Amino acid sequence: MTGEILLQTLLSGVLIGLIYALVAVGLTMIFGVMDIVNFAHGEFLMFGMYSSFWLFSLFALDPLITLPLTVLMLFALGLVVYQLVIKRIINAPPLSQIFATFGMMILFRGLAQFFWKPDFRTIENSYSSGKVVFAGLHFGLPQIIAGVGAILATGAVWWFINRTRLGAALEATAQDKDAAQLMGIPSQRMFALAWGIGAACAGVAGVLLSSFFPIFPEVGANFILIAFVVVALGGFGSVSGAFWAGIIVGVVEVVGGFLLGPEYKMAIVLSLFLLVLLVRPQGLMGRA
Amino acid sequence: MTAHRPNTRRNATLALALAVACILPLVVTSPSHQNFLILILMFAQVGVAWNILGGYAGQVSLGHVAFFGIGAYTSTMLFIHAGISPWLGMLAGGLVSSCFAVAIGWPCFRLKGHYFSMATIAVAEILQVLFTNWESVGGAVGLNVPLAEQGWANMVFNTSKLPYYYIALGLLIVTLLANWAIERSFLGYYFRAIKDEPDAASSLGISLTRYKLVAIAISSFFTALGGSFYAQKELYIDPGSVLSTSLSIKMALVTILGGVGSLFGPVLGSTLLTSIEEVTRQAFGGSGMGTDLILYAAIIIVVAVYYPTGIVGWLRQIRRRYAKPEARG
Amino acid sequence: MNMKTIRTIVATALVLTSGFWGSARAQEEIRIGAVYPLTGAAASTGLEMKNALELAADMINNGAKGINIPLAAGAGLPNLKNAKIKLIFADHQGNPQVGATETERLITQDKVAAVIGCYFSAVTVTASQVAERYGVPFLNPESSSATLTQRNFKWFFRTTPHDDLFVHNFFEFLKDVEAKKGVKPKRIALVNENTLWGTETNKLEERLGKELGYNIVEKIIYPAKSTQLTSEVQRLKASGADLIMQSSYLGDAILAMKTYKEQGFAPEAILANDAGFNDSEFLKTLGKDGNYVLSREVWALDLTSRNPLIKQVNDLYLQKYKVDFNGNSARSFTGLFVLADAINRAKSVDPEAVRKALSETNMPGSQLIMPWAGVKFDATGQNTLGSGIIVQVQDGKYVTVWPFALASKDLIWPMPGWDKR
Repeated sequence: MTGEILLQTLLSGVLIGLIYALVAVGLTMIFGVMDIVNFAHGEFLMFGMYSSFWLFSLFALDPLITLPLTVLMLFALGLVVYQLVIKRIINAPPLSQIFATFGMMILFRGLAQFFWKPDFRTIENSYSSGKVVFAGLHFGLPQIIAGVGAILATGAVWWFINRTRLGAALEATAQDKDAAQLMGIPSQRMFALAWGIGAACAGVAGVLLSSFFPIFPEVGANFILIAFVVVALGGFGSVSGAFWAGIIVGVVEVVGGFLLGPEYKMAIVLSLFLLVLLVRPQGLMGRA
Repeated sequence: MTAHRPNTRRNATLALALAVACILPLVVTSPSHQNFLILILMFAQVGVAWNILGGYAGQVSLGHVAFFGIGAYTSTMLFIHAGISPWLGMLAGGLVSSCFAVAIGWPCFRLKGHYFSMATIAVAEILQVLFTNWESVGGAVGLNVPLAEQGWANMVFNTSKLPYYYIALGLLIVTLLANWAIERSFLGYYFRAIKDEPDAASSLGISLTRYKLVAIAISSFFTALGGSFYAQKELYIDPGSVLSTSLSIKMALVTILGGVGSLFGPVLGSTLLTSIEEVTRQAFGGSGMGTDLILYAAIIIVVAVYYPTGIVGWLRQIRRRYAKPEARG
Repeated sequence: MNMKTIRTIVATALVLTSGFWGSARAQEEIRIGAVYPLTGAAASTGLEMKNALELAADMINNGAKGINIPLAAGAGLPNLKNAKIKLIFADHQGNPQVGATETERLITQDKVAAVIGCYFSAVTVTASQVAERYGVPFLNPESSSATLTQRNFKWFFRTTPHDDLFVHNFFEFLKDVEAKKGVKPKRIALVNENTLWGTETNKLEERLGKELGYNIVEKIIYPAKSTQLTSEVQRLKASGADLIMQSSYLGDAILAMKTYKEQGFAPEAILANDAGFNDSEFLKTLGKDGNYVLSREVWALDLTSRNPLIKQVNDLYLQKYKVDFNGNSARSFTGLFVLADAINRAKSVDPEAVRKALSETNMPGSQLIMPWAGVKFDATGQNTLGSGIIVQVQDGKYVTVWPFALASKDLIWPMPGWDKR
């Protein structure tokens, strides 16, 4: 009995952890390439959720079918944010960059409330209340779809960075933008690309979440702290670090919450995070 | 002679500002406007305190609310359970907070840049969880400051806002004086060295960690004073309001907006940010459309994009622009 | 930045601040400040309550045909030369400090005659304190923290019953069910969110449950901003609880129900503490998965057979806002009527007169849209005639099942397992 429950919490933790990983991958990308703290990342996720919701409720299209469209929209949003705001503060002191992204966070929440009302919304599609029972273990179908989707999306980002020329250029800019510029890699374009991909990753996470998590203007607040922790735990800028850290955080949160009391679950995750940093100040897979 | 002129002018400006600050609440008699001024002073004071560590020493803490909360809880607990005057409680809160800060700073100062910022957020969030579940300090229900007899001894004033105003002003002045003294002492040089040239500083034999600890101890002490003041002003504290990360971020924001690492930056920053926040909310908050947030955020973004060095930086730019022709002539 | 931009900014700033620095006011208005969460996570609920208050003010000011509430005859408050009610809304963002600031502004700038609010108990604490300091009547229609009326405040009045009563109701209900159906929960689990409201409820439930000899096997306090509730539900499963008592806001109520279903956790009954479980969006979202949930309530549409006012007023609300009343909006609506009635009897907006009138309030249940015996305040400012009911979701609708005397449908107990629906 106890073994079964532990296995259940472990696997449920992995599933939610995969979502954390995907949110964090987008965030760490922006960190890695530009060294900017993006407070508005949770709001990209929120926009991804709303995009799924509106396409579903207006045109009855399933979030998974409209996923490419949402990805495109979020990618475009990332570019727009970069062009309108980030580009102008590249050389500003890091602290005023915080100021700008914090402003965007508030702005996006305000806009969402203004246009779409503060109501809680959900998507009830064919699989949103489906579930899989296997050897006494229970999993929600949308959670499983989300987990698989998160692995695919993270894998795609990893493949892009490590196996394509454009990805290599991005990575080069992340390591040393001046040297990369000398090699003929336009750093401005790479920055824009990082924002596009970063926002798109959060958007995909939003799409995957939309079938089982309520959608409302403040939903980003539930995920942003965890996303930051995952990014730092994995090592700022490390995509594979964010992936593994996401899973670790998910598992620690669910299993730790089960064993030590749900009221402490966030404290457990954060304590583990601090302990890891004490041993490895650059995160699990970050550059020293 | 000319070398002294800016100093004289500066002193005159300061004296004028102080005089205005002292007289202002006598002119602005509406309690709600006085309350607004108190908020400006309160956030300015914690901003100035934050600036010691975040601005001068360059260690960007986004968990300063932990010190604020410790200050608020210490003085309130002492007041409720031991009947100790909040004035003493405030000092006790500052000391407890400094000890906590040093204990936390010791391991955390090994971390650099964003890692340090994230670790401070984590510490504050853990503290919020612990206080939420800690029955003896009221847990999630929070603590009501007892409706004691009003007066200076208890730092409780029911009928007038003026005492709160002058306490806030006094706290701000004390914090500013401390900053000023630090800026001029060897500590100021060391802090700046830690921020700008950490490698050079350590090769000159300055112990980075030791002086970072000094910075966080001082900074947290003054932040805690602000927390105790908050508790006495609102007469109610709970983990959601005195230990929330949004307050940490606000301390950083007022400083960034005003000018990081400058003495009066947080004061200007708080004046502007608090005004924007209060005015937009009061004008549009009642609509329920989120328009106040949109406006507030738009102003923040515009400031960040066009005035990245804050108000102080902008003022310097202006001064330079107008000073140039004069110097030539 | 050129002169033109500066000029635009200054002009905008002046326009924006004109309200802030004071404004002209007409004499024949009675200004009432309303402090609610209009942005932030609870904005959805805040807006529903705002709508309810606006409907109440509209009924008082312009009348409502065929509705038999004394003040809804039209044309304002008769004893004050038909003065009209003007509501001034402020947003407290769920922040106690902002709540206090806004209340102070409403009292000193807008010179409101009384303040109504604030939904969140933690904000009501500080906001009512400000009103107490200024000697302005504060009417609280919907905060249920029991401690609010234990502060010996002179200016604080609360129309809703508080958590102490609600928790008592839970156990009275269990006793009645035992007498009627012969079932008694053997293992009770408490599930509460971790802010003031959930924590206080948890304490009351634990204390009373133990006193009455119930076996409480698990206490779960979970963070309100959770991204998953799997660990919580696993604990519940492991505890073998056959009854859970739960306090959740909307987002976590939805998440919890989905996780119960996913994990196949089906106790004999889920006894919820209002809030998220009674929000208009709860059933819209969960559909038939919301069936059989029991929840304490203060209002239900099916009570209309006993009191026609309920449907009449609900129809007005439905027509205007495309949604039915719920426990929150119905309480806000009632709160404003109680306040208006007191001001009318006071024949002035003098604070002391209004306070006195409030303390002498004696409104019969027949004038309310609540299933209460009426409104009458005790020395602490608590309405002593309020009561709770328990509703159950049956076929996608909330129906009253307790007290048995008010019930429109029979209680379904135990609730069927997830795979037997």
